[in-house]
Amino acid sequence: MRGVVKFLLLSEAFAVATFGLGWWSVPLIAALWGAFALPPGGRARFAALCAATGWASLLLLDAARGPLSEVAAQIAGVMRVPSFALYVLTLVFPAMLAWSAASLSPRLRKPAV
Amino acid sequence: MRAGFAAVLLAALLYAGFRPVGPVPPLGPLLDPANGMWSTAASANLPPMDRASIPGLTKAVEVLVDDRGVPHIFASTEEDAYRALGFVVARDRLFQMEAQTRAASGRLTEWAGARALESDRENRALGLVWGAERKFASYDTASMGYRAMAAYADGVNAWIVRMRPRDVPVEYRLLDARPMKWQPIYSLYFFSRMALTLGFNDASLRRLRAQALVGRAAADALYPVNSPIQEPIQPTGRSTPRFDFATIPPPGRPDNGALAAVAAAERLQIALGGSRLTETEDAVGSNNWAVSPRRTAGGYALLAGDPHLDLSLPSVWYEMHLVVPGRVDVAGVGFPGVPGVVIGFNRNVAWTFTNTGSDVNDYYAETVDDAARPTRYRVDGQWRQLDDRVETYRDAKGAVLHTDTLYFTHRGPMRREGGSWLSMRWTAYDRSREPDNFLRLGYARTAQEWLNWMTDYVAPTQNGLVADRNGNIAIRSSGRFPIRPGNGRGDVIRDGSQSASDWTGALAIGQYPFSMNPTQGFLASANQQPVDPALNSAYMGSDWYSPWRAMRINTLLRADSAVTPDAMRAYQTDPGSARADAFVPLFLAAAESEMKAGRGDATLNKAATLLREWDRRYVRANRRAVLFEAAMSDLGRRTWDELRTQPQSEGAERVALPQSQILVELAQTPENPWWDDRRTAEREGRDQIFAASLRAAFDTVTAARGKEATDKWLWSNIRHANIHHLLRIAGFSALGIPVQGGPNTLSPSSGSGTQGSTWRMVVELGPEVRAWGVYPGGQSGAPASPRYRDRLSKWANGQLDPILFPRTAQSLDRKRIVSTLRLSPR
Repeated sequence: MRGVVKFLLLSEAFAVATFGLGWWSVPLIAALWGAFALPPGGRARFAALCAATGWASLLLLDAARGPLSEVAAQIAGVMRVPSFALYVLTLVFPAMLAWSAASLSPRLRKPAV
Repeated sequence: MRAGFAAVLLAALLYAGFRPVGPVPPLGPLLDPANGMWSTAASANLPPMDRASIPGLTKAVEVLVDDRGVPHIFASTEEDAYRALGFVVARDRLFQMEAQTRAASGRLTEWAGARALESDRENRALGLVWGAERKFASYDTASMGYRAMAAYADGVNAWIVRMRPRDVPVEYRLLDARPMKWQPIYSLYFFSRMALTLGFNDASLRRLRAQALVGRAAADALYPVNSPIQEPIQPTGRSTPRFDFATIPPPGRPDNGALAAVAAAERLQIALGGSRLTETEDAVGSNNWAVSPRRTAGGYALLAGDPHLDLSLPSVWYEMHLVVPGRVDVAGVGFPGVPGVVIGFNRNVAWTFTNTGSDVNDYYAETVDDAARPTRYRVDGQWRQLDDRVETYRDAKGAVLHTDTLYFTHRGPMRREGGSWLSMRWTAYDRSREPDNFLRLGYARTAQEWLNWMTDYVAPTQNGLVADRNGNIAIRSSGRFPIRPGNGRGDVIRDGSQSASDWTGALAIGQYPFSMNPTQGFLASANQQPVDPALNSAYMGSDWYSPWRAMRINTLLRADSAVTPDAMRAYQTDPGSARADAFVPLFLAAAESEMKAGRGDATLNKAATLLREWDRRYVRANRRAVLFEAAMSDLGRRTWDELRTQPQSEGAERVALPQSQILVELAQTPENPWWDDRRTAEREGRDQIFAASLRAAFDTVTAARGKEATDKWLWSNIRHANIHHLLRIAGFSALGIPVQGGPNTLSPSSGSGTQGSTWRMVVELGPEVRAWGVYPGGQSGAPASPRYRDRLSKWANGQLDPILFPRTAQSLDRKRIVSTLRLSPR
């Protein structure tokens, strides 16, 4: 249960920060999470999952407000990739940002004495 | 190891997030679902209710958007109406407005970098920016036109300031750009651009090219000042065209002097943004016509407008309705970036335009003090100071990519080409008030008042057609028609060292082609020669569009004495062709003649049989137009082989071929030497060439498309409309749309499919004005919006939408309102 709450909160944090600050807040949140979250094991993968989920929730919000599939089809056409690849890229991009930032951030903390 | 990988990955992702990689824009702002491209989905639909404020607004303005996406703007003052218009047009078309402005003002490098440099240099060298700046500087700031441009800019900028990230058009994201602040002068840039599109005439070069190959006498006959088939805009009182055929002189000796002149002028033209024209048949062609009440079923005047331009998504037009009680109640279409209705109607009057295409630009060979770095030019033995202007081209970051020094004589921009300096005089450079002209049209209560508002209109020259509720119809070719010295013709390069070479004035308005309430009961124009030279010999131009569309419209209108609005609509996409009516009998007669002479064969017989089956209508389901068009193409190539610079080479560069009505003229002399195909030993006459072309066309089409019964012969598989997005992004474009119509039909289709009807409108001037209209595209410029291309299907099928024209906000059917915008002063 605690894990689920943690998951929801972190996902929400990614979504809210992206909404308010922009995409670059993803590695920032992930770095903070990686640096301070406990327990240390699996923090990077967890952050990646939450970042992708946060952005997926924003995508759902976009879909509720307008023709998201039409946007996907047209941008995919511009980029000469299938539509689903665009969706995948949109979820993989924050996931990789979060994973890499969360993987690095513990090393930036001052080692415990 | 893992940390190293994570570090590299993070660095790469951050780089790709912030910076463009090759053609891919920065991924971060692009993929961001809250503020990036995905979020544009949220602004694809207009909100049911929205509020905003605009600086300068004097009172509240209500904007009701109907289910066709048309804003009905109810304001207290005209300036408030234009502020609101700027706001809503920017909301729908901001990227298009900026793209057009950048193209017209040569600032595309700030988006595209060095890739756009040559295009920008050409646009600025053309002097359009210089001309627009001169006009703007001299504009009366108290005039309605100036105030409207300023108010419109207020509205556009209010939208830009208020835009949320999700409102930023997707094209900006792809270009990694931000919208620029709108300036009032940008509206003038657009008019300058239209002057280039519609008012830049290269007839002189076309004739010079031919003269270089076949001598002056032949060139003058092939590219005549006056059309040999007279079906002018100004009615002549005849019920049929006047055929003024002359014998075309045989090909003469090459004219080396002309060759040198054309080489220099061609380079200048290309430098100034022109192109080498090699097409013959009209790829575009606007039509308009009006019918007097006595020839309409309803007893009310009817008017049809059908301007043809390059097709684009979003459309070149934006539909609107502006209401300012006691001042303006006008609906129709205008250009995004320009305040007001250009083609439309009010409660009393409806109007539309076709392009006149008169000759309003001339070249002058100048004498300068220093061939490399001129500072002065010589006129009448005196040196005059050149004006110069340094043009700077920047990239997206503001870094200077290039600078050019442009020189100007009193005539216009001057460029060095081939060792000589040539300047250009063009009415588009003249100080003029086009925004005022168009805005004032909305005030007109009668056709006569409408004509009065157009008296000082300058460029580009337009055939303005108007009808009113009193049953009056009128047409006048309006604009500045220069008067040249000497023989008055503008199709030569003049000596710039003499002031006597300069234009001596402009035609008085009484000499403009004009008609009001003619006895024939209708008026029509289709870019043809506007007035029969037998009635008015003043030189207005020489490169008129062929008369086929005019002949077809007049045939239809003469045959219908009870015209309905629906008939007007149907005529706009009429598939009949006066050109086919002229040429099919010639092909068939030639085939029969050759058969009788013993020179026929099974192929010719078969081709003639197929062509005879054709009803000469370019409907999508016909299977014979393809054969006729192939035969026409072959006929042009075979007949005009003398106009190839390398006669023995099929692919050699040629001058633009004479128009097809010249072939009809030539057909009156069956043994004219022009018919001879120089590639053969035999000397051919007219019938042999026509028959050979028909035979060759059958072979060509069969080889390419198989047997004649197959669907590959269907016209719907051959001619299409191809409507490209402004950035030519395929996903944002509408390509391969089958259309009804062929070369020189009322809705002509070109081979590229990139030109066509941009706005079809029918207006009935009854007790209550009723109107119908459609354009290819939709009101929104957002590719994801359902309003981006919602009108395309109706446009392709020749259908029109009824246009809502409520007198008040309260009288607009609530069920038809999809969005309300309340604008208030800030």
